[in-house]
Amino acid sequence: MKRDSILSLISTLIVIIVGLLIGLIVLLASDSNQAFPAFWTMISFGLRNMRNVGDVLLGATPIILTGLSVTFAFKTGLFNIGAAGQFAFGGYTAIYIGVQFLFLPPPLRIICSILGAALAGAVWGAIPGLLKAYRNVHEVITSIMTNYIGMYLLSYTIQNTIFDINRTTTTRMPDDSNLPSLGLNYIFREPLGEGYRASAVNLGIFIAIFLAILVYIILDKTKFGYELKACGFNKDAAKYAGINQNRNIVFSMMICGAIAGIGGALIYMNGTGLSMTALPLLAMEGFTGISVAFLGLTNPIGVIFSGIFVSYLFLGGARMQPFGFSLELVNIVVAVIIYFCAFVLVVKTNIGKIFPKSREGE
Amino acid sequence: MDMFYFIVQQSMVFMIPLLIVALGGMFSERSGIVNIALEGKMVMGAFTGVLFLNIFQNPENVSDQGILLLALLVAMITGMLISLFHAFASINLKANQIISGIAINMFAPAFAIYIAIFYLDGQFVPFINQFRIASVPILGDIPILGPLLFQRTYITTYIGFLILAVSTIVLYKTKFGLRLRACGEYPQAADSVGISVAKIRYAGVLISGALAGMGGLIWIVPISSRFGGSVAGYGFLALAVLIFGAWKPMRILFASFFFGIMQTIASSFTAIPFLLNLGIPAAFYSMAPYVATLLLLAFTSKNTQAPKAAGQPYDKGMR
Amino acid sequence: MYIIEMRNITKEFPGIIANDDITLQLKKGEIHALLGENGAGKSTLMSVLFGLYTPEKGEILKNDEKIKISGPNDATRYGIGMVHQHFKLVHNFTVLENILLGVETTKFGLLSMVEARARVVELSKKYGLSVDPDALISNITVGMQQRVEILKMLYRENEILIFDEPTAVLTPQEIDELMKIMKDLITEGKSILFITHKLDEIKRVADRCTVLRKGKLIGTVDVKTTEVETMSEMMVGRKVNLIIDKPEVKLGEVALEVTNLTVKDKITGKNVVNNVSFKVHEREIVCIAGIDGNGQSELVYAITGLMPSTNGVMVMNGVDISNLSIRKRCLAGMGHIPEDRHKHGLVLDYNLAYNLILQSYFSPQFQKYDFLRFNEIYKNSDMLIERYDIRSGQGGRTPARSMSGGNQQKTILARELSREPKLLVAVQPTRGLDVGAIEYIHKQLIIERAYGGVLLVSLELDEVMNVSDRILVMYEGEIVADVDPKKVTYTELGLYMSGAKRDVVNEELA
Repeated sequence: MKRDSILSLISTLIVIIVGLLIGLIVLLASDSNQAFPAFWTMISFGLRNMRNVGDVLLGATPIILTGLSVTFAFKTGLFNIGAAGQFAFGGYTAIYIGVQFLFLPPPLRIICSILGAALAGAVWGAIPGLLKAYRNVHEVITSIMTNYIGMYLLSYTIQNTIFDINRTTTTRMPDDSNLPSLGLNYIFREPLGEGYRASAVNLGIFIAIFLAILVYIILDKTKFGYELKACGFNKDAAKYAGINQNRNIVFSMMICGAIAGIGGALIYMNGTGLSMTALPLLAMEGFTGISVAFLGLTNPIGVIFSGIFVSYLFLGGARMQPFGFSLELVNIVVAVIIYFCAFVLVVKTNIGKIFPKSREGE
Repeated sequence: MDMFYFIVQQSMVFMIPLLIVALGGMFSERSGIVNIALEGKMVMGAFTGVLFLNIFQNPENVSDQGILLLALLVAMITGMLISLFHAFASINLKANQIISGIAINMFAPAFAIYIAIFYLDGQFVPFINQFRIASVPILGDIPILGPLLFQRTYITTYIGFLILAVSTIVLYKTKFGLRLRACGEYPQAADSVGISVAKIRYAGVLISGALAGMGGLIWIVPISSRFGGSVAGYGFLALAVLIFGAWKPMRILFASFFFGIMQTIASSFTAIPFLLNLGIPAAFYSMAPYVATLLLLAFTSKNTQAPKAAGQPYDKGMR
Repeated sequence: MYIIEMRNITKEFPGIIANDDITLQLKKGEIHALLGENGAGKSTLMSVLFGLYTPEKGEILKNDEKIKISGPNDATRYGIGMVHQHFKLVHNFTVLENILLGVETTKFGLLSMVEARARVVELSKKYGLSVDPDALISNITVGMQQRVEILKMLYRENEILIFDEPTAVLTPQEIDELMKIMKDLITEGKSILFITHKLDEIKRVADRCTVLRKGKLIGTVDVKTTEVETMSEMMVGRKVNLIIDKPEVKLGEVALEVTNLTVKDKITGKNVVNNVSFKVHEREIVCIAGIDGNGQSELVYAITGLMPSTNGVMVMNGVDISNLSIRKRCLAGMGHIPEDRHKHGLVLDYNLAYNLILQSYFSPQFQKYDFLRFNEIYKNSDMLIERYDIRSGQGGRTPARSMSGGNQQKTILARELSREPKLLVAVQPTRGLDVGAIEYIHKQLIIERAYGGVLLVSLELDEVMNVSDRILVMYEGEIVADVDPKKVTYTELGLYMSGAKRDVVNEELA
């Protein structure tokens, strides 16, 4: 077991280095003069001061959750490519409650927003789950469809409910509907003139980490996790063991949806004034979640670190613009990393086959 | 009647790229490699194809079909090159085919936009769209059939039907097709008679890359005059067409025609008085193709059989 | 001079020598048996011959000339062909397409099968291998599929034919037929290598026999002058007592009563199990015999709950289980050793201890407030590992995937038997195991008989005859015979299995 985790860690680091090197090569090929300063900015910006560190954590919050959503599904044998839609539904519901439920006292309103987001995400995740369990349709294809359906549906709904026509987004939430910063603004800040400029990092990052640990406990320590993983590893054996796999598929997709939905809530409740667009666009966080999940080697604890890493890259990547490079470079790097992660997973799952205790002659 | 012609002509615009890309997916999946990367391959093909047009299109002779054909060739080659990565991961390294597909889907738009911004100072690559053929000489004058198939059309429509015919013949009537299907159903059988499963699967994935790359360019040409790194989920729709078409060429034709009509309704219902008068919000028309896909798959896929070995890396040692 | 000679072949895998200095000499025109248990190294040796593995040492000669084989294509070029134990046929291709795959004939780039078809028809007449060239593989019987495999070799004009365990799936009559075909092939100038672990078949057709054990060459003997017992001892390394010591016991209560059970196939709509009725008593081993694919699997699926039944009633220990879930049947006292241990029996990515609680992880013994009790789980595995002699490198933490087939089967056996089921359904429990493991499992089944009834499904006639107290034969979804193993002969069983003979099975006699 020990050797296994060390091997995973080393191979992940190698994969990250390879991805970054390829990114550097692309930069060098584009403009060799600016490449090194730009690259240095990308890989160091997140650590330049405490505010940046806070911003890395802030950016990591939603993608840890979408990554966790994909991870949970993967462990139970499902491929949740629908995190984008579940995320958006969660976000919308949270904002709706934050804007409309002003009769609730702020703490209760925030809790309602998060729970409402979880519920909305769960409902949207249940659709591919039900279709997989009872109609035998592959969840990848149905998730793709539900992503697009959700995109148009939400665009329409926003325009007819909580619409800010000037910005073509949702209406702005009152400040007390946002997550409290819990004093983090005193830690994650940088001096600016007379005072400080603080990062908006808040309670959300704790919720994300807490949920990651919770998922780890559910999967590894409980009866429910035993059942879910059995379904994921071998659904025929799970059926043989009397596990109701159809019910588990639906449960599993609902839990994934709830996690991604909470991710949507946390991003729009982070107090930076971010609103949800009314244009029909897919939530990129859903797809970034897939990267985060595989970079974390589909381990719930690993996802915390990979989420922070990807957020770190995005924060630094955005600072390459003055050198004439676009943020898309980060996506190229991440794509390369995921591509190589596929190999790492092969090595990991085949470890038993490659170094067997004793090999049969036949 | 004009309305009917309009709908059919418009449907072709949406249907042909779906048809071509889904047929591409068919070659890959029937060889045993699941191809979720169709979207990324389309983006790459569309990008290089449009870039080629942007650079080499002659403003004096913009409706030159020759340059379009060359651009299609460029798109095909790009699609094949990007496919090599998918093939290498899934065939040589036996990696999870969905993960490597996702990596390609992520890479393609990022790459296209990165290059565009760097060299053209903007996300969009413009081209001059003058490739529409008002009426094919002689054929366009045939009553009914003329307006249906030979007016306000694109050369790519005929390329699409040609690819359909060739694909059907290749799949069912040639040595290669027989071997391809064997590799997708039971690679052990192919291997035992000395067929290289890896080579056949490479061929399947490369063909899918070529067709998807070409399909990407064919998708963008009639509907826009610039390309911004996205094919709006058409690669995924093509995947749905492939599944709904049960991995068979003729059924893929019908499936893509169905989606073509759905898309036509979604994109141009305002021009169809009957639909406009229903007063249904635009968003619901936009959703319709995806909802229809979902429903159709829910009701048809219980008994459709995917190629048996699709998605499973072939390991010689396994029996 | 030998038509094929494999000289001093050594093939190593990490941690094991699969072939250790093995020499195999095949004379032209002989049937040469290759005898050995599962795991003795027969398949590795054949893979070397086909170029799938490159040996560390040794060489291959054809007619005294050294040859190099680096893949199936080379093998075909040198005239070597093989009927694999698991047929290499594409299920949705026709017979003709399967024969031609890899050696297709084309005209103007398109497939042209007219001449090929004529040749296939001619070959099938010449050797008495009747097949319908246009039938889909999925629609023909196992026996016919084997004929297709033989035709594949003949079409390629192979002269060295290898048969890998060809009789495992056949009825005694089909085996007779195959033996005759093999002899005919010899008179036509072919040479045959016959891989098997069944001694009587070697005695019937083979001229010489090479014996392997644990990767080593034990010797090559002349079959006519060698006693069966000698060969058996060479194979296993000790004297084998194939007769099972089975004390007579008095039947107990009815453990399982199945009445008018029908199972319909969802896709074809055919009744794969048709109106079947029978009883299994406590302290009785009832064996379902039959050729693979005659509804045995579906019957078991219906009884264990893996597949819904269309009609009929099943009562276990007085409880109507017809509509109970799999879990409830299990809790009511049913144990199930499934046909495919990798598909149903084990979660290969779980470790041994986790696999041992697959049917009981939810019981208070192994979980409290929904949290798994790891101490109990590993205590349980330590106990069962010792009691059932499961060999595993890291005890309960051994990944199931890394265990040998015999130990994986013992794991399932331990899990199911330790629950002391009132009814044990065991499907081909000894498939692919060596003699030691087979003996062990048979012994355990007889011990289990003391607790309840055993329903055993087997394709191995020796097992059927030796272990069971009563035999039911299934043919095309129906029970066509209910016989006493002491009174029935192999030939009779074969006639039942192939549908040539059937009794009206009267339930009252059971």
